[in-house]
Amino acid sequence: MSNNGRRSFLQIATAFIGGLISLAAGIPLIGFAISPAWKKEETQWVDLGFVDNLKNSRFKKVNYSFTAQDGWVKATKKRSVYVTDLGNGEWSVFSRTCSHLGCLVRWEESENSFLCPCHGAVFDKDGAVVAGPPPKPLQKLEVKVDNGLLFVKEA
Amino acid sequence: MKQFLSDRLPFDGVMAHLRKPLPKHINLLFSLGSLAMFLLLLQAATGAFLALSYTPSPDHAYNAVKYISSGEVPFGKFVRGLHHWGASAMVVIVFLHLLRVVLYGSYKAPRELTWVFGVLLLLVTLGFGFTGYLLPWDEKAYWATKVGVEISGKAPILGEWVAKILRGGAEVGAVTLSRFYALHTIWLPWMAFTLVGIHLFFVRYYGSSGTPNNTAEEMHSGKPFFPDQVFEDVVGMLILFVVLACAALFAPVPLEDVADPTNADYDPRPEWYFLFLFQLLKYFQGPFEILGTFVIPTVGMLLLLFLPFLDRSERKVLWKRPIAMTVTSVCVVAIVGLTILGATAPKLETQDETQPADEVQQVTPTDTEPEDTDAEEDVFDFQLTDEEIEGAKEVGEEMQNP
Repeated sequence: MSNNGRRSFLQIATAFIGGLISLAAGIPLIGFAISPAWKKEETQWVDLGFVDNLKNSRFKKVNYSFTAQDGWVKATKKRSVYVTDLGNGEWSVFSRTCSHLGCLVRWEESENSFLCPCHGAVFDKDGAVVAGPPPKPLQKLEVKVDNGLLFVKEA
Repeated sequence: MKQFLSDRLPFDGVMAHLRKPLPKHINLLFSLGSLAMFLLLLQAATGAFLALSYTPSPDHAYNAVKYISSGEVPFGKFVRGLHHWGASAMVVIVFLHLLRVVLYGSYKAPRELTWVFGVLLLLVTLGFGFTGYLLPWDEKAYWATKVGVEISGKAPILGEWVAKILRGGAEVGAVTLSRFYALHTIWLPWMAFTLVGIHLFFVRYYGSSGTPNNTAEEMHSGKPFFPDQVFEDVVGMLILFVVLACAALFAPVPLEDVADPTNADYDPRPEWYFLFLFQLLKYFQGPFEILGTFVIPTVGMLLLLFLPFLDRSERKVLWKRPIAMTVTSVCVVAIVGLTILGATAPKLETQDETQPADEVQQVTPTDTEPEDTDAEEDVFDFQLTDEEIEGAKEVGEEMQNP
């Protein structure tokens, strides 16, 4: 092999081995960093209190907390929802988190709507978008009644 | 692309510089510097990613490291393994690199400054090791750091000050962990990359020292640095990476129980690369203690740092340098020997005569508080009524919209 041919081969081999090391180290490192993206959220039922205390409520604001694993920390998480007794054992629980960018919406009885203080979003009493930038309705939480307690499914 | 870069950057000049021939007879030992550089970069990369899942606080550090190692985080065990074994490999490679430079007399004029900055890099490497193993906050982390910081406290005059500054207080705790984390992830990396930059500048500026037997003609008639030497370096990096990856995959990285300052059954041992210092301390007792804790390590490090200014002869061939050869041999045998003695030294067989856990009196912090502070009548009830909250809101709104 001529000297130039040998040098060209060495350059290509150097680039190949360098790329191989970068890939072998880079893939685990990137995987380590982006793993939260595909981590499955754990769900749990959290009670909001006795059904008797919530009877006939209409968009009643309920703050509650629950413990959940947050990485390596057992953290207390706080949430706020609007609870409505629909009658016949039916309940509607809306998350107060705006579907646009996560600000907390407020129920305005006079407007019969949820209003978001951040970017002027308006949701009707069923959580559908009436005005503003949100791309989807307010999140309606899954509910169940057990032993006289109202539970919502938390992620 | 090449044309684009050539038009805008001194690409050709850089390549011409890199293609300059090295001295003849350059061997594999001349790749050790590149391998040390590779390990520094690998440590920086793995460390930067590990920091994504770590909190430097005694409440969370141990659980964070356990979380990384538990398999909960994809590749967590592997990345931590690379970082852990990479640290040991770095100490070995830096030491071998230094040994090669000593044996070949490469520290001699005009390369004294290359040597000085290299020794400073060795100190930074050991600093990385010392500050790094506190971070998991397990028993080894706590006790080895406690002993290590106590050693610095033995230095005359400023010792206790230095120890307090390192600990951030009177004892190893939350502030120490925070300080060591900052040193390990910000201060030392900045120092390391600055020193590497200066070291490399001198290496390129003076060129390779070659082997001791190189004649003047042979100094510029060997293979070019690029691509020949770079190729050999990269093959070395690949081999090193495969070894580290196997270690990370198959050799579990130790994580002991969470740090417990009351555990008298624990036999503190530092990482293997500090075992020679640990063992040395056993031979100096009473008034001579300071010899092991301060005098020998400090004098040894100063002699190493100023070696090129102490050994000013121009001879490089080893057998014509009997003093250098003897001193180096004695130092290497002493360091290796003390390390082996430290690693194999029997641990204390007696256990702390502890009572059963339920019989040990546990004093909670509230029991130690001054009496008057927990007297119920003195506690200020900070619960506001709904009316008070509404009143405060109204005042706030009035202030915003007068």
